[in-house]
Amino acid sequence: MIPSLAGITTVCLFLLPLLLSGPYYIHVFILTMLNIVLAASLRLINLSGQMSLAHGGMMTIGAYTSALLVMKAGLSFWVAMPISGFVTALIAYIIGYPFVRLKGIYFSIVTIFFSEVVVLTAQQWQSLTQGAAGIFGIPRPNPVSLFGILHVNFSSKVDFYYLALVLMLICLIILYAVEKSRIGMILRGVQQADSLAESVGIDTTGFKVLAFAVGSFFPGVLGAFYSHYISAINPDAFAFLFTIYILIYMTVGGENRFFGPILGAAVLTILPEVSRPLKAFEPFVFAAVLIAVIFFVPEGMVGLPKMLNRALRSSEKEPTHA
Amino acid sequence: MLEIEGLSKFFGGLEAVSSVDMRVNAGEKLGLIGPNGAGKTTFFNLVSGTLKPTRGKVTFEGRDITGKSPHYIADKGIVRTFQGINIFPDFTVLENVVLSCHLKPGIGLVETVLRTRGSRRKERAILERSRAILELVGLDKLADAVAQSLAHGHKRILGIAVALAAEPKLLLLDEPLGGMNAGEVSETMALIDRLWHGGITILLIEHNMRATMNLCQRIVVLNFGRKIAEGTPDEIKANPDVIRAYLGAGGHAA
Repeated sequence: MIPSLAGITTVCLFLLPLLLSGPYYIHVFILTMLNIVLAASLRLINLSGQMSLAHGGMMTIGAYTSALLVMKAGLSFWVAMPISGFVTALIAYIIGYPFVRLKGIYFSIVTIFFSEVVVLTAQQWQSLTQGAAGIFGIPRPNPVSLFGILHVNFSSKVDFYYLALVLMLICLIILYAVEKSRIGMILRGVQQADSLAESVGIDTTGFKVLAFAVGSFFPGVLGAFYSHYISAINPDAFAFLFTIYILIYMTVGGENRFFGPILGAAVLTILPEVSRPLKAFEPFVFAAVLIAVIFFVPEGMVGLPKMLNRALRSSEKEPTHA
Repeated sequence: MLEIEGLSKFFGGLEAVSSVDMRVNAGEKLGLIGPNGAGKTTFFNLVSGTLKPTRGKVTFEGRDITGKSPHYIADKGIVRTFQGINIFPDFTVLENVVLSCHLKPGIGLVETVLRTRGSRRKERAILERSRAILELVGLDKLADAVAQSLAHGHKRILGIAVALAAEPKLLLLDEPLGGMNAGEVSETMALIDRLWHGGITILLIEHNMRATMNLCQRIVVLNFGRKIAEGTPDEIKANPDVIRAYLGAGGHAA
């Protein structure tokens, strides 16, 4: 059922811009797709039993890397975007070794500090980053022509919408393949019992670092996309609350399943946008939803159908008991 | 096979393991016994790399493995079981073993993500080997059960199967019979014997004295971190130091 559902959703997403009126909703959908990938990649790190809160920082690194590569080094966006992902992953790999020695909440705390260090660096390194004001006038991606017929010059939001959609699909396919591979299995094993995994010959430190680096690659790429889409980036564009929102998308959607964070990010990004009064109270709404989910649907939104099914079945049986 | 010289571990002022010399010969069944707190598990932790020794040297097949990481030591052929968590609770029985059949067949990580033909063939080989291991330990009928739902005895057997999947040359068993009923004890003893016949050297910590005496060819006794005796089961039974260690200084009863 899941593959056909994913297929139908994908087709709908490709047709969506034909139905939506106005650039505002296109923008909302672009943000939704970014959030989906962010939440899904956060889950990959989480699989290894480490809760990273550095996604905002990683996205900032990606955004600045790409903006500087394009504006100062004159690279094409299409080269700078993947490089930004690899640079971010490399930084995560390097800091990963000391970081993963800390377990549980202590790991999370140092990742928060890391994000703050990224923000401070971007603020203080005036000569490179233009300080707290940020970088403006980041150029659009270079025009591309697909199959010689379709010319995309990124003059409208719709072009960015399709780029975001393609990016999201590629990222999700990669994340899915990693999770279903032996790497995903080993990470889940490490999460359940890391000293046992170590005792049968698994380099648990190496795998935790691998999860952190691969999981940080995606915010790096998305940060690059974002800075060229908005055409500006400033140091605290992805501040602490931003990272917490990603965490909430993942938890509310259901962190134990691949489609959980996807569902969570989609619902929680679109919901406040379609109902403007909610938007003003977003942090409160998110907090309330989070508490409600933790209390009533511990498996997250993806667990709802199963729960409803169970509830229906037990209510059907009740008359026979009575 | 395994040579240990002057192995010591101090926790602050406490000498948990103190200058222990020991030798495990290839193809033997060696028992390690001692009263509670004698330092047996600490000794295992030192040999398997979970703890770093304060002093001393551990050599395995001519290679110095002192203070190396556990996964390195496991890769070289020493695999240990745990008294506590010795299974992956959320995986099925089969997945537990499959995970532990780790990288021995040489599957590249990128290969498994791309699902190349080579990786699928190796995964199939791993699956076959895992089923064979489950058959050997007698858990094949429970292959699809979630590990944490197993009965205690089965969990302990699965712990051994997980260790086996890592292809040990020397298997360190930490109280494999703990909490088992009489039937399970004899089944597990038979299993350990089968593994030994299959060519795996066994080093066993066990509180079940009768089982240890029956199973092992040679026994080493630890007390307060020191080796106090070594010999055949009959020699150990007759050793006055051992009797004193177990019954206390006033224990003339034996």
